[in-house]
Amino acid sequence: MLDQIILNGLMLGAIYACIAVGFSLVWGVLNVINMLHGGFIILGGYLTFFSWLHFGIHPFVSLFPVAMLLFGLGYVLQRTLINQVVSKPVLTTLTLTFGLEMILYNTMNLLFTATPRRVALDMGVLNLGDMLLPYDRVASMVLALSLTGLLFLTMRKSKIGRAIVAVRMDKDAASLMGINVPQIYAITFGIGAFMAGACGAIVAVIFPISTSLTGVFLGKAFVICVIGGLGTVPGALVGGLALGLIESITGFWFGPQNAILIGFVLMLVLLVVRPTGLLGRKGYE
Amino acid sequence: MKPLSQTARKIASVIVLSASLLGSNAMLSAQTIKIGTPLALTGGLADEGKKQVIAYDMWLNRVNSSGGINVGGKKMKVELVRYDYETNAQRAQQLAEKLIVEDKVDFLLAPFGSGHTKVVAGVAERYGVPVVATSASSESIFDQGYKNLFGVLAPNKGSITNLLALVSKNLPQIKTVAILGREDVFPKAVAGTMNALASKAGYKVQSIEYYSVGALDLSTPISKIKSIKPDWIFITGYSKDLILARKQMADLAVTAPVVTMITGPVYREFIDALGAQAENVTSTTWWHHSALLKGDDPWGSTKAFYDEFVGKEKQDPDYVHAASAAALVALQKAIEKAKTTDKAKVREALASLDIKTFYGPIKFGPNGMNTAIEGLPIIQVQDGQPLPIFPAEVSKGGLKQFK
Amino acid sequence: MRTNRIWPYFLLAAWILLLAASPFLANNYLMKIATYIAMFAAIAMSWNFIGGYAGYPSFATAAFVGLGSYSGAILQNAGLPMFLAWGAAAVIVVVFSASIGLIILRMKGHYFAIGSIALVDIGSHTASSWSSLTGGGEGLNVKIMQGGPELVGMIFLYTMLAIMLLAFITTVIVDRSKLGFGLRCIQQNEDAADMLGINVMLYKNIAFILSSVFCGIIGAAYASWVAYISPLDSFSILLTLKAAVMVLLGGAGTVFGPIVGSAALVIFEETIWSRFLSLHQGILGLVIVLLIFFLPNGLLKVDWSKLWAKKNG
Repeated sequence: MLDQIILNGLMLGAIYACIAVGFSLVWGVLNVINMLHGGFIILGGYLTFFSWLHFGIHPFVSLFPVAMLLFGLGYVLQRTLINQVVSKPVLTTLTLTFGLEMILYNTMNLLFTATPRRVALDMGVLNLGDMLLPYDRVASMVLALSLTGLLFLTMRKSKIGRAIVAVRMDKDAASLMGINVPQIYAITFGIGAFMAGACGAIVAVIFPISTSLTGVFLGKAFVICVIGGLGTVPGALVGGLALGLIESITGFWFGPQNAILIGFVLMLVLLVVRPTGLLGRKGYE
Repeated sequence: MKPLSQTARKIASVIVLSASLLGSNAMLSAQTIKIGTPLALTGGLADEGKKQVIAYDMWLNRVNSSGGINVGGKKMKVELVRYDYETNAQRAQQLAEKLIVEDKVDFLLAPFGSGHTKVVAGVAERYGVPVVATSASSESIFDQGYKNLFGVLAPNKGSITNLLALVSKNLPQIKTVAILGREDVFPKAVAGTMNALASKAGYKVQSIEYYSVGALDLSTPISKIKSIKPDWIFITGYSKDLILARKQMADLAVTAPVVTMITGPVYREFIDALGAQAENVTSTTWWHHSALLKGDDPWGSTKAFYDEFVGKEKQDPDYVHAASAAALVALQKAIEKAKTTDKAKVREALASLDIKTFYGPIKFGPNGMNTAIEGLPIIQVQDGQPLPIFPAEVSKGGLKQFK
Repeated sequence: MRTNRIWPYFLLAAWILLLAASPFLANNYLMKIATYIAMFAAIAMSWNFIGGYAGYPSFATAAFVGLGSYSGAILQNAGLPMFLAWGAAAVIVVVFSASIGLIILRMKGHYFAIGSIALVDIGSHTASSWSSLTGGGEGLNVKIMQGGPELVGMIFLYTMLAIMLLAFITTVIVDRSKLGFGLRCIQQNEDAADMLGINVMLYKNIAFILSSVFCGIIGAAYASWVAYISPLDSFSILLTLKAAVMVLLGGAGTVFGPIVGSAALVIFEETIWSRFLSLHQGILGLVIVLLIFFLPNGLLKVDWSKLWAKKNG
């Protein structure tokens, strides 16, 4: 049974990685803790759900358009509002995004209501020996990993990506090199929202979506970033997989009511012992 | 002088502002009966709060359009005073006092959350304001000795007893049970009750585990259940948790002859979210719309309530809707019986109430819980509908094995 | 400079007297609001020590309040008289913050913030799983205090006012002492402060402990007031966020800031929440956003005379 538990943990972990990667990027590059992240994921989920419900569009098809919509939203928000406070202390930016999150929550609550919704597609299960892999989780894992991989490649190879990395490393030097820092900030925030939206689309098949989940997703993102390291895509991946495995295995050994607790304790321990996370470089103070 | 006068001015204006903003709301109308209804319009229980609103409004319309409640010969209209308690205990406490002191409500309905019901009851008890709960069925909610707290839902025990009897009779080969509960007031209480009563009824409870609030993955406990191979899988939680649990059971190919989930399957959203996977899951409920009850209330019969609801909402009502309306009916009847809106006399009338309604009989026991309802329905999802399979009067089908 | 600052103290005294007189001047509900104002003022002042003066954005406030609630409740149920239980809860919270402080105060900025959030979640999940001690998800009943609503209301009003006063006096002492000076230096530049000879670790720890002690008593008192507590509601991150917003609203690192900010926010929330049933959360969010843009340093640090001059001239 342990092998199934480990497999479950890995599948869960891939989803967790997807939840966290956008959040980690924004935090690492812009130095902003984006309290809207959970809200973005749920928004992506709702858009996917309603396009499936009313127009019959399969979630994996609506994934890209939904994610692009979220990109637009994130870009605009950053360009107009968040950019003004990017250089302010942690608490200021956090409070601002928290206020924005309250507005988003209220809006979604009014538009969509809090009824749990799920895209009720049954994709079947793959049998590998005595291990079972549900196709939707496999697909989600593949999607999550692909998106993460795509993001990684973008950061490494594309001009925008190099610019983002440059800004992350030293924003003044990057500015001197001719990089339009506010534009890069906005694009990064947009990418964070894009990943959140994509994650929402993926998640709408696996979990029932509801506005009351925004906090839960955000909390997971926090823990994963700390475990894996801030601002790096591989970090979010490692952190997500690690958390998924930890929750599954500790749930198995110590009982499910302790699984989440242990995740937080581990996060705290890691923060103390290795604040940059398993993979991170020296993070922000 | 500048810095201090700024500070001084600031502080002074806050004092003035507070005095003016918090000026008492002059409350008119000694001719209406005011009932305070704290509602979860935001926060974790926002979905359930919405259901209460629909039911409250239905009752209000009926009662007021017939002139109001008969108070000793005179008809008085009803006003429902509502605020959002944000699914938050501190707000619930604050709200209870606001409703009692500022809005001067005569009576209160409890908020949806079990723990929050206790908090509101605590405030109401001090003022001697009767509170009727619409969604509290766990004994632990009524365990603080509050004399003013009443609840229309039958205690969990009744449902579980009926469920055990039904399964024993129809599927006597079922011998072992695995229980998975959410670590939260109501779901934990139900899991505990099942544990105790199943053992007493001769079943072997092979495992009982609890998952934390906010769990996004139940695959580990479900994998464990798979390895135990119980005859009966019993899971408690809120809709989101149960949808996830059923999905992950399918992911891991976990089945058993009987699968029970409390209370998800009675809600439309559970069936919508799972599609075919919801089939043959059993559950218990406190009321089913196909009941043939008749009562002395604004509707007179279950059918009348059902018809009005379907006409408005275009879907079937579930027990939350019915119990919410029933709570108001109980208050109404107690007021009629007491022939006054005096809180103490109405409290006495509630304590000695013994009526039949479209929702079922209502008679409150010594701790305030409704002990009158016996044949608590058991439902099973069949052909995408929550079908009642017990008791015989409402049964539309037999218990099927879960596939 | 110091002698000119007498007026604010008089105004504060008047404010406290007004709150204290609420049972006689106003109805029970306003007395409850006054109690909340005092309670939040004390919580905001607590946060101010570590977040305002030292500049360490701590979210642990909710953990301290929750720990105080559960400690007080468990001890009271075990037979300890109410006031003693509150005192003991404060001691437990201080021991906790002192030991945890040694660990997490070694981190800075974002990492410290995250660490402190972890404390709240750890608190909530521990309360939830350690059922035998805390009642778990079912929550914990606390011995109900006897007495009519006026009496009970007054007891808690004066309790919260007393805590508020204590927190205020502590704030004044800290503000004027070497500790306050040191904390401000630490906020400006921790390494430089260290080089100046300030015992950085000690000062930060003291600030952290100070940010916990009043919260602990408040938590215990609140549990006795409400007679029932549960994990999710006792450890709510929202509480800390509100405390931080209150301090930011009033002016961080000042003596009067938290008091002004908490009063303003409680009163403001009170007026919108009851009047805008389905929009209040969005409106509060909007207010927070506006606050960040137009009052970044708080109400007390706005140069009102300049604004007034602009308007007139």
